[in-house]
Amino acid sequence: MLQKKSKITTLDVFVLLALLGALVYVVYQVKVKLNYNWQWGIIPQYLFRYDAESGKWVSNYLIHGLLTTLRLSFWGTLLATILGTVMGLLRVSKSLFHKMLARSYVELMRNLPPLVIIFIFYFFISDQIMPIIGLDDFLRSSSAGTQRLFETLFSPPQFASAFISALFTLAIFEGAYITEIVRAGIESVEKGQWEASHALGLSKYHSMRHIILPQAMQRLLPALAGQFISLIKDSAIVSVISIQELSYQGTQLMASTYLTIEIWITITALYLVMTLTFSLGVGKLEAYMAKSQA
Amino acid sequence: MQEKKLGDYIVTVEKINKTFPNGVCALREFSTRIRRREVVVIIGPSGSGKSTFLRCLNGLEEIDSGSIVIDGIPLDENKKNRWEIRKEVGMVFQSFNLFPHKTVLANITLAPRLVRKKSNDEAAEMAMDLLRKVNIPEKAESYPSQLSGGQQQRVAIARALAMHPKVMMFDEATSALDPEMIGEVLDVMKNLAEEGMTMIVVTHEMGFAREVSDRVVFMEDGYIVEEGTAEHFFTNPQKERTKLFLSQIL
Ligand SMILES: Nc1ncnc2c1ncn2[C@@H]1O[C@H](COP(=O)(O)OP(=O)(O)OP(=O)(O)O)[C@@H](O)[C@H]1O
Ligand SMILES: [Mg+2]
Repeated sequence: MLQKKSKITTLDVFVLLALLGALVYVVYQVKVKLNYNWQWGIIPQYLFRYDAESGKWVSNYLIHGLLTTLRLSFWGTLLATILGTVMGLLRVSKSLFHKMLARSYVELMRNLPPLVIIFIFYFFISDQIMPIIGLDDFLRSSSAGTQRLFETLFSPPQFASAFISALFTLAIFEGAYITEIVRAGIESVEKGQWEASHALGLSKYHSMRHIILPQAMQRLLPALAGQFISLIKDSAIVSVISIQELSYQGTQLMASTYLTIEIWITITALYLVMTLTFSLGVGKLEAYMAKSQA
Repeated sequence: MQEKKLGDYIVTVEKINKTFPNGVCALREFSTRIRRREVVVIIGPSGSGKSTFLRCLNGLEEIDSGSIVIDGIPLDENKKNRWEIRKEVGMVFQSFNLFPHKTVLANITLAPRLVRKKSNDEAAEMAMDLLRKVNIPEKAESYPSQLSGGQQQRVAIARALAMHPKVMMFDEATSALDPEMIGEVLDVMKNLAEEGMTMIVVTHEMGFAREVSDRVVFMEDGYIVEEGTAEHFFTNPQKERTKLFLSQIL
């Protein structure tokens, strides 16, 4: 593929100027018309605060929220990938029942408002399933080391049930998109690969597992990474069920400090830092994959 | 080649018909029998059903009617028989179809390990023997994309041989190769024929047909138009259609 050097055209300059103008206008409105009293000085302490007891700097609400968002996104993507792979396999199966099952799942998830899905699944999982698993009891009776490990990987033990329920809810939601990605990946593997594999006497299962799926997954890697970024954004929705991720922390802080604009600008910046960093990474990954494919 | 003794019939094809869902009829009442150690070359114009015939023999395509029996195993509804036949019949494709995510060695050892339940060491040892046979033992740890077309096709042949097939099929194995690489692949195929492998070879390489084949089959529109020794085809073809085709490719 030919890489065109991007040139800045008159139109670009015009658009940039318009954006700049809009920004100036907003700042002017806030500053002069609203007579808004900026108090940026208060914000940093919500990122890191000085702990007098231990004499150390420790992370505070916003960083906690950011980490929770990252944990939710990471485990959520992982779970969604597993679910999406299973459903994707059903989607390309010859059996009509399998196909319908996977198709119904995908259509249901994609045609309901995420908020509705979150409420339905969250209450179902946390009410019906979590007590059966008995995670809370397990954590309460487990050693301090296990509890700390759980806190590092997932969430503080006292919120375990809610966190895990939210995690599964997000995974079920996100899994529908990954199902379609996996299906596309499997279908993108050349027919010749199936034929060579069958001609060697490999069963359908072995062909899928050793020949088709590994190639599909390799091609899917960038798309999956993209889905991870989506989940960083989409996970904000679980703030409605009181999971203390970044958006939730923002709402809470706003309610207690009334620094609406400062806080939301900070939250915006934090989300952008996460998503843009990972986007850059995905771009690199894509370029790398494209090179290794050639 | 003269003193070569052919064995009993290993492939029996009787009156098979194949029509694709789009209505194209690729094989019509096609019958033939192939003996052990026989090398059959199939020639014919594009679209005459040569590939379809090979693909039916190992069940990559299902036939509509007729019967195929290979080494005593009927290719029928019974799925087990189909897998059994695929183990016994090796296939080499025009486009190689190597597994790009696996090394050359892994390409060759995969099926013996999974299907023949060979141990890793045993499979690897056999793979190295086969790579020596096709003259590229030094490429064992390479990936297919790092090889030339001729090398890839030789790996594909080694991969098929690793299953110890009783019959080898080649579908235009040299058609996708640059001219300077055709020879190295044909040499491997010739050696195989000399070792007594039963081979069904779809090719446009008339030199190969003349030198190696026991029988040449000329087909068109899903029929066998004429068959005989290579000698017969080059000196004394009977049918007008055959003469026309040969005059075009020779
Ligand atoms: N999967 C398919 N679906 C529909 N039609 C097909 C399919 N495969 C082959 N055909 C048709 O069947 C006929 C025979 O095809 P086949 O590939 O067997 O010919 P061939 O002799 O191998 O030709 P070539 O020399 O071009 O490889 C052709 O008309 C082809 O278009
Ligand atoms: Mg063909």
